[in-house]
Formats: sequence, C-alpha cells, structure tokens
Amino acid sequence: MFSLMANCCNWLKRWREPARKVTLVMVGLDNAGKTATVRGIQGENPQDVAPTVGFSKVDLKQGKYEVTIFDLGGGKRIRGIWKNYFSESHGVVFVVDSSDIQRIQETRETMAEVLQHPRIAGKPVLVLANKQDQEGALAEADIIENLSLEKLVNENKCLCQIEPCSAVLGYGKKVDKSIKKGLNWLLNNIAKDYEAITERVQKDTAEQRAQEEQDKKERAERVRKLREEREQQERE
Amino acid sequence: MGEPQKGLLSVIEKLKGSSEQEVRIVLLGLDNAGKTTLLKSLASEDVNTITPTQGFNIKSVASHGMKLNVWDIGGQRKIRPFWKKYLENTDLLIYVIDSADKKRFEETGLELSELIDEENLKGVPVLVFANKQDLATASPASEIAEGLNLHTYRDREWQIQACSAVSGEGVQDGMNWICNNIVNKKK
Ligand SMILES: Nc1nc2c(ncn2[C@@H]2O[C@H](COP(=O)(O)OP(=O)(O)OP(=O)(O)O)[C@@H](O)[C@H]2O)c(=O)[nH]1
Ligand SMILES: Nc1nc2c(ncn2[C@@H]2O[C@H](COP(=O)(O)OP(=O)(O)OP(=O)(O)O)[C@@H](O)[C@H]2O)c(=O)[nH]1
Ligand SMILES: [Mg+2]
Ligand SMILES: [Mg+2]
Repeated sequence: MFSLMANCCNWLKRWREPARKVTLVMVGLDNAGKTATVRGIQGENPQDVAPTVGFSKVDLKQGKYEVTIFDLGGGKRIRGIWKNYFSESHGVVFVVDSSDIQRIQETRETMAEVLQHPRIAGKPVLVLANKQDQEGALAEADIIENLSLEKLVNENKCLCQIEPCSAVLGYGKKVDKSIKKGLNWLLNNIAKDYEAITERVQKDTAEQRAQEEQDKKERAERVRKLREEREQQERE
Repeated sequence: MGEPQKGLLSVIEKLKGSSEQEVRIVLLGLDNAGKTTLLKSLASEDVNTITPTQGFNIKSVASHGMKLNVWDIGGQRKIRPFWKKYLENTDLLIYVIDSADKKRFEETGLELSELIDEENLKGVPVLVFANKQDLATASPASEIAEGLNLHTYRDREWQIQACSAVSGEGVQDGMNWICNNIVNKKK
C-alpha cells in the first residue's frame, strides 16, 4: 500500500516535470550511415538515402525528452560546417562505418578533431559502430583500438559508449535495439548533468549568435557600399 | 474576348487538377546565375539561346512519379522585389549561385538571408545549386556554403549541390535529393 502510494507520487512528480530539450549533433564520415540511422529512429525506411551535403534535422520525443538531432553531411568538403553546430549540442552521436577498414584512420583523425573541439570536449559521446551486418565489419574491440578511443575520450573528458549496430536492420519499432540502447544511454547521461550542460550550451550559443549577428551586419554594410559604387558607375 | 482567358485558366486547372503528387518549387538567384539554363536543362531543352528573364518561366518536370512545378523568376536587381509575390505555398526553394562570380557572393548571400526571413518560406527546405562548376574559376561548394552562412539557417533543411547547368553535371543529383527528402515527406 505504501509502495503503491510512493509509486503514485513518483509518477506524479515525473509527470509534472517540464519536458527537457536536448540537442544532439550526428557526425561521422560520408557514407557511414547517419541519415539511415536517423530515418530508422524516426520510423522511416532507411533504404534509398541520398548523400547529405548540408544540414537536416529531426525532432522526436523520447520519454520526457524533446530531442532534436542535427544530421550533417560527412563528405570531406562539407565537414567544415560541423563546428558551427557544436555550441548548441548537449551530446554527440558519431557514426562509424565498421566495414570501411580503409578509412578507419580518416575516421580516427576526424573523431579526434570533434572530441578535442572546445565546444565539445567534456560532453557525452555515443559511438555507433554501424554496418555490423556487412561481411568483415570490425568488432567493437577492434574499433576501440583502431580509433584509440580510450585515449581520446579520456584526454577530452568525454563520457563514451560504443554500440555495434546496423541501421538497415529495421525501422520504427523494429529499429536495431543497440541504436535504441545507445540513444537511451546518451540521454540518461545528459540528464544526469543536465543543468551544467545546458548552462554551457546557452552560454556558447549566445556567444555564437552574437558573433553571427555582428558578421551579418558587417556583410550587409559591405554589400550596400558595393551597390552604391555600382550605381554610381552606371550613372557616369 | 473570353477565349484567351479560358485558355490560361485551363492551363492553370491542368497544373492544379491532376491526381498525382504536386510539388511547387521556386527557383531564385541573382541575374546571370543560370536559373533559366538550369530549368531548361531539367526539361532537356536546348540551352543555347537563353536571354535574361524579365518576368518568369514555368515548367512541370516529372520525376519519381511526382510532378514538380518549377517557377523560374528573373534575378535582375529591379525584378527582385517581385520575388516575394511568388513565394506562397512553396514546398521548396532552389537558390542558384554563379560559383565563379566571387565578387557577388556577399550580395547573393544577403538576398538569400532576406528570403529565409520571409513568412511564406518559413521552414521551407533550400537546395543551393553551386552552378557553373565547369568554369576554372569556380569556387568549391563548401566554400560557398560558408560564404553564404548556410549554417545559420537552423530552422530548415538545406543541401548544397555543385553543378553545371550547361553540361548537366550534378543537376540530377540535386533532383534526387529533392525527391528523396521533400517528396517522400509530403506523401
Ligand atoms: N549494409 C548496411 N548498409 C548501410 C547501413 N547503414 C547505412 N547503410 C548504407 O550506407 C549508405 C550511406 O548511408 P547514409 O545514411 O546516406 O550515410 P551518411 O552517413 O548519411 O552519409 P553522408 O550524408 O554522405 O554524410 C547507404 O547506401 C545506406 O543504405 C548498415 O547498417 N548496413
Ligand atoms: N559556363 C557556364 N555558363 C552558364 C552555366 N549556366 C548558365 N550559364 C550562362 O550564364 C548566363 C546566364 O544564364 P541564365 O540562365 O540566363 O541566368 P538567369 O539566372 O536565368 O538570369 P536572369 O534571368 O537574368 O535572372 C548565360 O550566358 C548562360 O549560358 C554553367 O553551368 N556554366
Ligand atoms: Mg547523410
Ligand atoms: Mg533567367
């Protein structure tokens, strides 16, 4: 009886808590399976995805979390945009193509750059060792070794979990359980430290937005001058 | 007297009335960016006799079982104020850049940022064609993405596609992205 009441109280408490907004940035080399993963989580078919050379996002509800995932293009020539999304992210999902052994060094270097970034270091990181369904895919331990993952996360004070998975296994309710598990791990660890991470996110985001505003104003001014000059020339 | 009007109406009716999924796309960008060339190349038409657009061109392109109604509007400075009139019910914005015209990157970025702020384009995905990649002086797409500050647009999807409207390279990739991302979601 008492336990029943206690349960009820807990339940009430949880129900009253406001939804928590969490932003995740999803990165990794091109062809790793980021978009396929996001599609699967969202309940859409992960087959037939086109390469991302830009930005897309999905919103989903996971329990009391309102989660936004930024799915960014991973190609070498678009990777430069990643850093612009770090400040507002509470955590990172890094997707690895476990079957692409040729590019594992490139993956390692790219991951190092992300985790070392001052706006990422210290935030929790989920590594999805994707494409486990492929013949010859590296197993969890091999990936940890090849990426020097231990060293990397310790140096940058990132909590880290690695999940071997396959984004094309299924979607919606049938999405690979490892992906769900990994995502839950990430959200729970963000929750444990929610106030501190959120404070950092808000501060960094405000700084970045102010900079962006400033740049925009300066640009507008330059364009205005250029137009004036051109009109002057046209008149002469 | 009523005849020509009826003709026009039936065209509009046809555009509106068919049962297949329709997608309204507006094609914008500065003058000389290559919008009309791109539209003609999409429709597999001759791209050699194109003159600057004073009003607009419209074409329906079938792709992935969809009908894409693409509106191409002139980009000259004196026409740009009219862009706004074409934005209602738009499913997708295609923004075309002359990748070799570095002097005007900031200007084209500014025009784009004004469009992004338009109420009628709220949340509407953007496909940027970094056109004229066949020219030796063309900037790579990533540089253009940074120059246009695409990363500041967080309220919608965007994609940048390098292409050449004259050779056709990259154009189909851009259309595939549209069909994969926009059309599937509309269904
Ligand atoms: N066999 C297998 N193929 C997968 C898996 N995940 C993704 N793929 C395929 O890998 C290819 C690339 O997947 P995407 O999701 O587009 O990769 P991405 O990381 O979003 O790539 P970019 O957008 O270029 O950065 C697609 O053909 C997918 O179908 C997987 O777990 N197993
Ligand atoms: N080299 C090269 N030239 C191109 C390409 N696309 C367009 N052009 C040329 O650029 C010029 C302008 O092309 P248009 O298609 O008329 O440009 P627009 O954007 O429609 O211009 P407005 O109608 O004035 O807004 C023409 O001379 C085209 O032949 C391209 O991919 N490569
Ligand atoms: Mg992708
Ligand atoms: Mg034109």
